[in-house]
Amino acid sequence: MWRRADFVIPFILKTPFPIASPRLLVKRTLTTMDTMHHSSTFLLPTVPENQRPSLTYALVVLNHNLPRFTPLLWKHAQLRLCADGGANRVYDEIPLLFPQEDASVVRRRYKPDIIKGDLDSIRPEVHDFYTHLGTRIVDKTHDQDSTDLHKCIACIRDFAPVSDKSNLCILVAGALGGRFDHEMGNVNVICHFSSLRVILLSDDNLIHLLPRTHRHEIHIQASIEGPHCGLIPIGTPSKSSTTTGLRWDLNNTEMEFGGLVSTSNMVKGETVTVQSDCNLLWTISLKKLW
Amino acid sequence: MDLMHHHSTFLLPTIPEDQRPSLTYALVVLNHNLPRFSPLLWKHAQLRLCADGGANRVYDEMPLLFPQEDASDVRRRFKPDIIKGDMDSIRKEVLDFYTCLGTNIVDKAHDQDTTDLHKCVTCIRDFAPASDKSNLCILVAGALGGRFDHEMGNVNVMCRFSSLRIILLSDDNLIHLLPKTHRHEIHIQPSVQGPHCGLIPIGMPSKSSTTTGLRWDLNNTETKFGGLVSTSNIVEGEKVTVQSDSDLLWTISLKKLA
Repeated sequence: MWRRADFVIPFILKTPFPIASPRLLVKRTLTTMDTMHHSSTFLLPTVPENQRPSLTYALVVLNHNLPRFTPLLWKHAQLRLCADGGANRVYDEIPLLFPQEDASVVRRRYKPDIIKGDLDSIRPEVHDFYTHLGTRIVDKTHDQDSTDLHKCIACIRDFAPVSDKSNLCILVAGALGGRFDHEMGNVNVICHFSSLRVILLSDDNLIHLLPRTHRHEIHIQASIEGPHCGLIPIGTPSKSSTTTGLRWDLNNTEMEFGGLVSTSNMVKGETVTVQSDCNLLWTISLKKLW
Repeated sequence: MDLMHHHSTFLLPTIPEDQRPSLTYALVVLNHNLPRFSPLLWKHAQLRLCADGGANRVYDEMPLLFPQEDASDVRRRFKPDIIKGDMDSIRKEVLDFYTCLGTNIVDKAHDQDTTDLHKCVTCIRDFAPASDKSNLCILVAGALGGRFDHEMGNVNVMCRFSSLRIILLSDDNLIHLLPKTHRHEIHIQPSVQGPHCGLIPIGMPSKSSTTTGLRWDLNNTETKFGGLVSTSNIVEGEKVTVQSDSDLLWTISLKKLA
C-alpha cells in the first residue's frame, strides 16, 4: 500500500526502454496458459468486496476533455497524476462537474499528487496553484523521446512496490479524441507496457490490451458498458484468435488490418473470453450515464 | 519505385489550376460530427454519399453552418446523391426527406459483413470509370471521434482499399494511407494543416522507414507498436517524403480556422 505522505520521486536518468522481449520459443498450450481477468468495476460507485481481481488503482489525467466519470476514477485511485496539460483539465473541468460548489473548494479537493511531463502545455497559473497546494511537479522538458503518458506510467511503475505490480491498474482519463497521433501514441504506450494493466478511457470508450501471453476473461458491467465492442490486431497480424460471448465470435480466425478486424461487434451476456496468438486491443463502448 | 504525390488542396476554397495531381473527388459523410469544412468538401466533390446515419448529420448539421439561411434551403442545396448502408441509424423523416428530393437510397440491411463506409467505397469504386480510378480521391467526413471501434473500422477500410486514395477527415485530423508500393511526397498546406503529424505502422511492424521534412526524421528506422511509433512529430517546411517497407498511416493535424 502506498503512503502518499512520504513518497519520493526518484530523479533517475532513464535509459531507453528495450524493445519487446524475445518471442517464446516454446508454444504454450491451452491447458498451461494463465487466465487474466478484467473487470470495469472502477466505473461503479463502489467496488464490490468480492470483486476479482483485487486491484490498486492509479489515475493519469491527459490533456483532453475530462470524462464525466473522472471524479469516480479519482475516488478509486490511490495515486493521481496529471500529464502536463492534464493539470489544466483538472483545474478547468472538474469544477464544472460540481456546479453547485465553489470552484476553488473543488480544486483543493481534487489536488493531483504529481504533475509530470515536458511542461510545455500547463498554464503558469495552474502550475503555481498546484505547487502551492503541495503537488509534486516533475519537469521532464529534456526528454523528448517519450510521451508525457509514457513518463507518467514509468513513474507509477517505478514507484509501486514490486509485489504490487500484478495488482496495479493504471487508469488513463482523456486518452481519446482530439489529435489522432496522440491517440495512437497513447495506444502505443499500452502496447509498450504490455505487462502492466493500463486502461485508456474517454466518455465513449474503454480500451485495454489483451496480451497474447494469457487467456482472457472480460467481465462485462452491463449497467455501464457495452454492447458495442471490438478486437483490434494493433500493429501485428493475428493468425488465430478465438472468442466466446460476442455476437460474432472468432474461431481460430485470422485478423489483420487490410483484412478482417472485429469492429461493430456486440457483447452478449456478462463474460467475454479471448485467446489469441497476438496482442489484441479490446475496446468497448461506455454508456452515457454521467 | 513510383512516386505518389499527396495534396490537401481540397481544403482550400479553390484548387489551383496547376495543382498536381488533378483529382476527381467523391465525398462520404459518416455518422459523426460534421467537420466545419464539410461545405468545402461538398463543393469539390462530384459524387456525394451518406453512409446511413451520415444523412442525419447532413440534415441536422449543415444548416447550423449557415445560420443566416433558412434550414430547408440549405438542406435542398446539400442533397446527397446516394444514401447507402444497413439503414439502422437514419431517421425516418430524414430518409423520407431525401427520397422525395430524388436521392438514391440503397438499402444494404442484409449485409452485416462490411461497414457502411466499406459499402460506400465499393459503390464509388464500381461507379467510377476504370480510367479514372487513379485520379479518384474519396474524402470521408466524420471519420474520427466517437466510438474507437468505428475509428479502427474506418482505418481498416483504407487498408483494405489500399490502391484507392481515401482520406479520413475530422475537425482536427487528416489521415491517409501511404502504401509501401510507392515512394511518397506529401505537399503541406501550412495555412490549413500541421504542424503536428505522425506515421503509424498500423497493421504490421516496419523494419525500415525513411523520411525527410520532419522535425524528427526516420532514417531506415524500425517502427512498430510496442516500440517506436512516430507521433507528436512536426512538419518543417512544405514537403515531407516517406518511403517504407510497410503500409504506414500518415496523420496530420488540421488548423482550427473559422
